Amino acid sequence: MSTSEPVALTAPQIRRIAAIDALRAPAYALGATMAGFATIAREAGFDVWMTISTSALVWGMPGQVAFASLYSAGASLFIIFVAVSLANMRMLLMVVSAADMMHLHLHQLPLWRRVVLMQFLAITSWAHLAVAKGTYPRHLLMPYFQGFSLTLFAFGMFGTVFGYFLPDMVPPDLLQIIIFITPIYIFLLIATARQKANRLAVLFGGLLCPLLYPMAGEWSILLAGMIGGTLAIAYARYIAKWHLQQDV
Amino acid sequence: MSEYGFWDSWLAVILAAIGTFIWRFAGVVLASKIPPHSPLMDWVNTMAYAMVAGVLMLMLVYPTGILAASGLDDRLLGLVTGVAAMMLSKRIILSLLCGILMFAASLHLF
Repeated sequence: MSTSEPVALTAPQIRRIAAIDALRAPAYALGATMAGFATIAREAGFDVWMTISTSALVWGMPGQVAFASLYSAGASLFIIFVAVSLANMRMLLMVVSAADMMHLHLHQLPLWRRVVLMQFLAITSWAHLAVAKGTYPRHLLMPYFQGFSLTLFAFGMFGTVFGYFLPDMVPPDLLQIIIFITPIYIFLLIATARQKANRLAVLFGGLLCPLLYPMAGEWSILLAGMIGGTLAIAYARYIAKWHLQQDV
Repeated sequence: MSEYGFWDSWLAVILAAIGTFIWRFAGVVLASKIPPHSPLMDWVNTMAYAMVAGVLMLMLVYPTGILAASGLDDRLLGLVTGVAAMMLSKRIILSLLCGILMFAASLHLF
């Protein structure tokens, strides 16, 4: 990312920059993650069209995986609905946070356009938005998100189709390593968040969630987020008082 | 393999889509109600960070699919290496490579 020259960028230019940022690594990593989902979906008995539709319409990994595993277990449609909703409930907070980070209110978009925009939100694009926020002026962050998340979406769809037919061709050891990329990549992005309170939240949430999982199951994500996030903001505001420093 | 008919299967896909869409929609509506730069918005942000970190740690500690064939020690070693490289170098692609290579080495050597 070149940030030195203060040349005013236009929205189409920033979309192109965002697409190139996505092509540096995250788009391939996400494609690999979706390929991983497609292999699970195929084992669960999905045909290729169901697999593609699930990736495209749900576009949220934990919910997709919950769907495929319940489907293979023959669960009722009601259970599938509840489990997927639970697994992707985190979208609520991510959408609010993403709308805030890209200063969506500046653009005065009608409701349906905001909804369509957020349909493309994924963990990767959310994490990159936090990085872009420190680099580009606020009115360009929405076009940045558009360029970035559409590129990711395209690679996610390619990855899904690829993964459905791929497992026969790629040795499982290599596939494991490829699928390992996305969680590590995003973890590195969020662990270096600019605000200390957010870094602390990553630490708390990351420690709490696996500890809560054996007891709380799918609820552990929500619990870890609420407890970890609340502890982090409480420490930041009332004990460390980081918000009084210039940096934030 | 599954006991679902054609229409049941597609209804399941639609229900899964709706189950995710409701949260995105609620998020869009809620976002317009919370003032920017407010303490409440800071709180929402820390919760979002904690939640995403939680999702990632679940993928690493309790993986599904192909990744489940690797050992927990392999995955955690890869994560720790990546984070350590990031703290030292501040360069994401380099740190990512360190983490992935350590994971690959750990898979095959230990």
